[in-house]
Amino acid sequence: MTSALAGLKILELGDLVAAAYATKLMADTGAEVIKLENPKGDRARYRGPFPGHIPHPEKSGLFLYLNTNKLGATLDIGKSEGFTLLEKLAAEADVLVHDFAPPEMDRLGLSYERLRKVNPRLVMTSITPFGLTGPWRDRRAEELTTWSAGGLIVLNGGGSAHPEMPPLKTFGSQSGFQGGVHAATATMGAVLAQARDGEGQHIDVSIQEVLASQLELTFEYWPYMKMIATRLGRKPIQPMEALECKDGWIYACCVEEHQWRGVVETMGNPDWANEEIFSDRFKRAENWEALELFLKEYLSEHTVLEVYKAVQQRRVPFAPVSTMGDLINSEHLKARGFFVEITQPQAGTHKYPGAPLKYGATPWAIRLPAPVLGQHNEEIYGRRLGLPQEKIAELKQAGVI
Amino acid sequence: MVKPPLDGIRIADFTWVWAGPYCTLQLAHLGADVIKIETRTRPCVTRVLPPWPDGKPGGMNRSGYFNQYSQGKRSITLNFKEPAAQEIARKIIAQSDVVINNFARGVIEKMGFGYDAVKRIRPDIIMISLSGYGDTGPYADYIAYGPAQVPLSGLSSLTGYRGWPPMHSGFSYADPNAGIHGAFAILTALYHRNKTGEGQYIDMSQWECAMTLLPEGILEYTMNGAEPERIGNEDLQMAPHGIYKCLDRPEKVAGNTIDQFVAVVAADDAEWGRLAKAIGRPELATDPRFAALAARKANEAELDKMIGEWTTSKRAAEVADTLQAAAVAAAVVADNRFLADEDPHINQRGYFAELEHPEVGVKKHCGIPWKMSRTECAVRAPAPCIGQHTEEILTQLLGYGHEEIEQLRALGALE
Repeated sequence: MTSALAGLKILELGDLVAAAYATKLMADTGAEVIKLENPKGDRARYRGPFPGHIPHPEKSGLFLYLNTNKLGATLDIGKSEGFTLLEKLAAEADVLVHDFAPPEMDRLGLSYERLRKVNPRLVMTSITPFGLTGPWRDRRAEELTTWSAGGLIVLNGGGSAHPEMPPLKTFGSQSGFQGGVHAATATMGAVLAQARDGEGQHIDVSIQEVLASQLELTFEYWPYMKMIATRLGRKPIQPMEALECKDGWIYACCVEEHQWRGVVETMGNPDWANEEIFSDRFKRAENWEALELFLKEYLSEHTVLEVYKAVQQRRVPFAPVSTMGDLINSEHLKARGFFVEITQPQAGTHKYPGAPLKYGATPWAIRLPAPVLGQHNEEIYGRRLGLPQEKIAELKQAGVI
Repeated sequence: MVKPPLDGIRIADFTWVWAGPYCTLQLAHLGADVIKIETRTRPCVTRVLPPWPDGKPGGMNRSGYFNQYSQGKRSITLNFKEPAAQEIARKIIAQSDVVINNFARGVIEKMGFGYDAVKRIRPDIIMISLSGYGDTGPYADYIAYGPAQVPLSGLSSLTGYRGWPPMHSGFSYADPNAGIHGAFAILTALYHRNKTGEGQYIDMSQWECAMTLLPEGILEYTMNGAEPERIGNEDLQMAPHGIYKCLDRPEKVAGNTIDQFVAVVAADDAEWGRLAKAIGRPELATDPRFAALAARKANEAELDKMIGEWTTSKRAAEVADTLQAAAVAAAVVADNRFLADEDPHINQRGYFAELEHPEVGVKKHCGIPWKMSRTECAVRAPAPCIGQHTEEILTQLLGYGHEEIEQLRALGALE
């Protein structure tokens, strides 16, 4: 069995998450990805987490996760010899994905027009915070500011009970991940068109727009109803909250009436559940403060798993507020084989998140751990581009690779 | 312009709510013919949810939620209790490249369109199921709702203010995330099919898809055995890194005061120096309490207080403009109104789609979050009214005659 993208050749010029995640998705499904890092190394190498909390550029969990199955070479495309090498590699590639911000692209001279000259079949994907056009194209951005500009952070925070608390960032590098997976999708579209037409093109992915695309019904409250959606809205129906159990937290979720009845049955049909003030989902929201007390009392005497399994038997969509330990030890995820062990000599062997989905015919597989900095320089510049040893040494000396 | 990448690719779309429709929206954006197979007796819940134009509920075609995520798709209504309707669905599948559903496990099989069945109709079909827990494993039959999938994924236990309980992401993040990963997977499967002629089945668990976004949390545990601490809006390697209060919106909206904020980040000492100068406190750049990252992290509460004091009397947009002029990463904490009416950038880029819809007129909807230089890349049509394309699909795609269609209608097969 061959992997879905076997034969597809990709160049990545990525820093941190967006481009690296886009090409990880493709590498893990079989594409050949050459990651070209500035000789200083991708910033993800310095983000961690690190084993023993000791920073080391070859032991960063984020980098090791994002760059599986890739060949790694160093290249400074800001130097003219470096750009020439990029052109040589681009001539042989199907796709180039990068996430340099527009001012950096301008400084490096990186443009589609330039690469198109060496390879008209090339699909080039630019993932940037605000896109390549528009008045804010050159604005500086980091994960937090992009998540804010995309309109998502305003929806999260202390809620109506804590209006003094500011909007709250969602953990991790979600702007980067979403920029990456949306870019990978658009890129695959362009790859299909490349096969059809024999021509490439340039894709301009704006992370701000990618995030705004995920505002669910909240965006349309303004165009349709002239209402502003924020973190402060009171929930229209309840229970829809995380609540504490004996040994952790569970997310209580009842949308349909039969689900609430399933919860009441699970609790042994207590008398209070028959009160008029809890008789439908809207009343349960109006009287949430009282209901919460009753639920907390019950939950404080039961474990998360007990409650979860008991209500799910009655088709109620509660879920644990999973800790990392819960995920690693989950019987369900073990049975599905979600986590994968990856060994990289310096960082050691650790469990990593595995396949986002399971393909029936084309395997998803970790064939290689993430490359150490410049690991495949000889392979790429020597064997593939045919540069002699002396030339490679000279390029190293000059800081090009 | 050249025709879009997925021109000629057809999707038999059995999805509803958000994850599935978000997936097929991406395929519609890329030019696929997405046929929503619907029923009037049990329409997609988003057809009957707010927001409504001018706040007036009614009908199945006026919801902003549905109209956002069904742009560019076609709709046929079929009543599967009638064998004739099942036959129509089989004929649609025979002419489709991809079948997609996000029902609970077992439902699509009961309808007669499980993978084994659709593969008999079309051997090279690609089929994907987007479920909460996946097709296998001890919890495969568990029920999953969008809001609960965020805590299930592990994201909530990582998200929260310092010292506070686990919190949410504020939206059902696992849904669009599953949808977009599903769209990517479908395209890779089309690539493989184009090369080999082989279709396949793809099993997607929303839960697993969401965990692929959490390497920093999961690896802290697998490398060090530790549950990461919740740190609110802070970052371990950048300070300041926060959300700061600005002036409220000058006018109330729907009776409510709307507070506004700005996000500000100094990624390194140099950016901090520029920030200190921009807020009129250049001496702070060299102040030993703040000059280096470690010092700023140690004194972060004080740092945040000073920045907050500077932002609190200003409009968020003014703060962002001032700081960006000094090359500091800052952005207005955008709400829906800001994006729709006030953000000059996203509007000038032409992101929003504004197409005439027969029942709601022209409203702004979020459009395609990428631009393509060679192939057509625009939202082609507003969301379909329920059953809007039933006749068109029956006649043009499947070759039914008008008399046959009248008979099907009389049977109730097209409800």
